[in-house]
Amino acid sequence: MISWLKLALRNLFRNRRRSLFTILAIGLGFAAVNTLGGFTAYIFTSLKDSYIYAQGNGHLSIFKAGFLQEGKLDPTRYLIDEDEMALIHDVLARHPEILVTAPQLHISGLLSNGKVSTIFLAAGRVPSAVSKINRHARGLVGKIQLFDGKPLEDDVMRGVGLSRGLAEQLKLGLDSDAVAMAPTVSGQINALDAQVFQLFDSPVEALEDKLMSVSLKFAQSLYDTGSVDRVTVLLESDELTETTRTRLAEELAAEGLNLEVKTWNELSTFYTKVKQMFDVIFLFTFLIVFTIVVMSVINTVSMAIMERTREIGTLRALGVKRRGIVGLFAAESMLLGTLGSLLGMVLTVITWSGVALLKPTWIPPQITRRVPLEVYLVPDYMLYSVLLLIVLSLVAASLPARAAARMQIVGALGHT
Amino acid sequence: MSRIGAPLLVELRQVGKIYHLGESRITALKGVNLSIQRGEFVAVWGPSGSGKSTLCNLIGLLDTCSSGTVHFEGQDVTALSDDQRSELRNRAIGFVFQSFNLIPVLSALENVMLPLQIAGVSAARAKRAARKRLAEVGLDDHAAHRPAKLSGGQQQRVAIARALVTDPALVIADEPTANLDSENALRITELMRRLNSDNGTTFVFSTHDQRLLDRVERQILMRDGEIIDDRSPEQSAMRLDRSVRL
Repeated sequence: MISWLKLALRNLFRNRRRSLFTILAIGLGFAAVNTLGGFTAYIFTSLKDSYIYAQGNGHLSIFKAGFLQEGKLDPTRYLIDEDEMALIHDVLARHPEILVTAPQLHISGLLSNGKVSTIFLAAGRVPSAVSKINRHARGLVGKIQLFDGKPLEDDVMRGVGLSRGLAEQLKLGLDSDAVAMAPTVSGQINALDAQVFQLFDSPVEALEDKLMSVSLKFAQSLYDTGSVDRVTVLLESDELTETTRTRLAEELAAEGLNLEVKTWNELSTFYTKVKQMFDVIFLFTFLIVFTIVVMSVINTVSMAIMERTREIGTLRALGVKRRGIVGLFAAESMLLGTLGSLLGMVLTVITWSGVALLKPTWIPPQITRRVPLEVYLVPDYMLYSVLLLIVLSLVAASLPARAAARMQIVGALGHT
Repeated sequence: MSRIGAPLLVELRQVGKIYHLGESRITALKGVNLSIQRGEFVAVWGPSGSGKSTLCNLIGLLDTCSSGTVHFEGQDVTALSDDQRSELRNRAIGFVFQSFNLIPVLSALENVMLPLQIAGVSAARAKRAARKRLAEVGLDDHAAHRPAKLSGGQQQRVAIARALVTDPALVIADEPTANLDSENALRITELMRRLNSDNGTTFVFSTHDQRLLDRVERQILMRDGEIIDDRSPEQSAMRLDRSVRL
């Protein structure tokens, strides 16, 4: 077997330039797919970490069943009261994999600077719990602060954060005073004084002129309730998301609570849309690479067969079976795929090292400041790429190789 | 014409071969009957297009006949599958080609080892057998040379060593001296004759070369796809002598 591989390797270098170009095409294709794969991995990880950690949404959110569908029409019906909250806490306390539990109340109303009012949407959260979630962030998300100003505080109820668009609309800056107004759960109009502690970028462009960040106490006071509309849960690791969701749903139901548990990716529509978009881009890139690799290998093997027709006849005369001829050309194309993949790995590592060394920055969508641009090395992608390119090379070679194996021996021997 | 008492190696019965070129049919062989015994040294000769290469291809199991049967070592090979024919060729038949047909990326030694490696013989055993055969053809000191570094005569000797390395019952040689100068042609002819007499290997070859024809014990003359004469050189000479006297 080794001898046949040796023969295949030597055959490969009979026409060095042609083999080199094929190896180069495979290598560049490999590097293109893996660099794009590394970039998308960086984007997906950043988006995921941004949603879970930076925005403080955690891995899981617990709602009253039906809140996401009907909650906007009848919010009070879907609020989790203090007794239910106590039961939820009991259930969550049984799970050591849960690092942080953060109740939230999302509110809406009008924000006024004394002269003009505009609509706001706000997440009311416990600032210390959100800070705990933020502190678990790793990588890029852990390095950047998504707001200017100072953090909100549990005990300073009036401190709020505004999205830059909202602040601009009301001509409010850091430390400016404002008034938030909203109907309470019983339908009375309520108003609270607020002071701008921080300005932040809205994670959704459409909400840039509407978003506020307030403490849970502020939100509950404005709505005049002790209830919340969701409980955010941060887990030890992302991998535990699905299993913990299932277990929590079962245990909460066992306590007689009519709740539903949603995972972070079910709630983050932006992440899902971006992922779908990059998956399509990745698919197109892969198809282009696929076409280049297949065409290059078919061309190389077809040319080799044409040039070596008499040799094929000789091998057949000496007793090589048809499948032996297919095997020989398959071995040659497998070597092309292997060498191309090795070159591709080197090119990918060079690209990755270059990016790590040069540390380029960029402004991604939804963020107004420059952040480091990274390309991850994803061993899984590389392994799959090697296997896929070798299989592709084999498949591409199989057609001309089978044609070569079916040649009449006498005709092949007489080929000039 | 055959060796009396020697076992039959090849037998062709009413063998015909028709080639189809587009819509036209070319009859290359017409109802040929032929028997070759083990140990014979046979030349097939005749003008171009007479069918001698076709005959050699059928005897060497490189091609299949359109009609009739071909028996090799008593077995009807006409019905064998392609794989079975390949195995039989590898085990029992060696080939020497006009253009040597060595594999250019392999050394002389590796070329000679090739038929054994195709048969699945271990590299060590194949190497030992190949070295022995290379020594027989006087090229043991050229074992590491690639074909491009060898002269035409040397390449043909490597090809003969390759043809003999599996100890085949039959060697088919297609115009083995056609691409060689006189000196090398003579050397190759003598080598094949010696291997035939020393090892008892049967040789069947097509040729135009009179020097080769003078050294064979049996000549088969072909014309228009038929065997028109089958005799020993002595018989040929006697016949020629008679016609001169008449």
